[in-house]
Amino acid sequence: MWKRDAALLAGFLAAGAALFFIFRISRPEGASAVVRVSGQQYAAYDLGEDRTVEIQGKDGGTNLLEIRGGKASITEASCPDRLCMRQGSVSRQGECIICLPNEVVVEITGTKEELPYDAVAG
Amino acid sequence: MNAEKKSLFIHSRGKQIAAAAAAVILCAVFFFFVSGKGKKKTVSASEELFAMDTVMTVSAVGERAEEAVKASVEEIRRLDALWSVGKEDSEISRLNRHESVELSEDTARLLERAVEIGSDTDGAFDITIYPLMEAWGFTTGEYRVPSEAELEELLQHVDVHSLDDPGSGTAGTSAETSGRDTDGTEAGSDLRQGYTLPEDVQIDPGGIAKGYTSDRIMEIFEEYGISGGLISLGGNVEAWHTREDGSAWRVGIRNPDPSHPALSSAELVGVVEAEDRAVITSGGYERFFEKDGTTYHHILDPYTGRPAEGGLISVTIVSSDGCLADGLSTALFVMGRDKALDYWKEHSGEFDAVLVEEDGSISVTSGLEEIFTSDLPFTVITS
Repeated sequence: MWKRDAALLAGFLAAGAALFFIFRISRPEGASAVVRVSGQQYAAYDLGEDRTVEIQGKDGGTNLLEIRGGKASITEASCPDRLCMRQGSVSRQGECIICLPNEVVVEITGTKEELPYDAVAG
Repeated sequence: MNAEKKSLFIHSRGKQIAAAAAAVILCAVFFFFVSGKGKKKTVSASEELFAMDTVMTVSAVGERAEEAVKASVEEIRRLDALWSVGKEDSEISRLNRHESVELSEDTARLLERAVEIGSDTDGAFDITIYPLMEAWGFTTGEYRVPSEAELEELLQHVDVHSLDDPGSGTAGTSAETSGRDTDGTEAGSDLRQGYTLPEDVQIDPGGIAKGYTSDRIMEIFEEYGISGGLISLGGNVEAWHTREDGSAWRVGIRNPDPSHPALSSAELVGVVEAEDRAVITSGGYERFFEKDGTTYHHILDPYTGRPAEGGLISVTIVSSDGCLADGLSTALFVMGRDKALDYWKEHSGEFDAVLVEEDGSISVTSGLEEIFTSDLPFTVITS
């Protein structure tokens, strides 16, 4: 009887562990463009889906985010310097587009290909 | 195990299945709990904020990471409020209006460091450059090219030595002897009552404020027992200890001119493996404007009043002293390659540097030999 209980318990444990790992592995890890405004999470868009969205930045400023072919870029902006538009397109983990006047940050997350650095000085 | 306990889950077939399913789910929950508990010991926290006219990220790993990041953000906001030239009631704005200001300890220390670095670099870094920055429009974004006569006139008031011993002679040592108080109000102020800038002199803390701030955050990281942290204050990076796996932080140096034929193949100038080091880059590409086909960048030469023409397009300083690194990245850019390397040879114990010249050639001082990697060719300079 003791043996059966132990076997049953071991079985439950194993099944539980399996369930745990299945949950872990199946957690969505698709690449996405995460948008933050003034440091707060604003939205996240799947990089695999082409789209154009208007981001409402600080003080009524706007940036047009375009996702095309797995890359994100800013194609229109209300800010005076338009530096965000000049930053080109991003597609790799950790890459960012920043619009300082509108306090908008677009960051790529969840891609397999990681950048070979943790931060960039300059 | 006895028969009574067994009967708890083996009654009928239906109940048996339900019980088994419940047990499996419970086990899974248990594993989630255990795995979560394991992580709790090394919590990581990160925050992004806009301050000092730039975007900043503060990331930390450690049991008290969240508190440390929160305290860091508060410290950034506090120093920004003290020093912002865009805020009318900041200490710097009041100084620039030639009011008599009871300096906070942080402002007093900032000015001391500015004067120290200014003197050491023979004025190549000069915090009194503010009137020139204003004349070129770099403070407002309303860019213009001042006339020679205007520059001549303004240059008369640009002299870091006019600030020697801000406050008084005795106050110079106060920062070291009084220790730090976290709200930065008490210790320095009694020694620094009523500090006034000399007539026509105005200061721009922009070349040193972020370096000072990042050093403060390292102090906060230490206070909270942070095991690893990385901060970027608008591209001024400082690394605290190591990454979670114990390896050094990898800090890239931005390519100052991706359209340059000699640099075009690379995304970065190189990568520095940094541990308890600030990595701070200055380059003309950071802020500039074009007028009549000429490009004017924001790193002004305090001797000529015009954008520095030292033949360098970016200067990176690596040092455990973030404030020094910030000031020197500007100073060495102004000096140009030869003078910059001479300066390094005299101070090689304090910092290392990566210089990128207009022709795309890269020089790296010898202290970085083991920790600098690049896809581009570079020369190691020895002292």
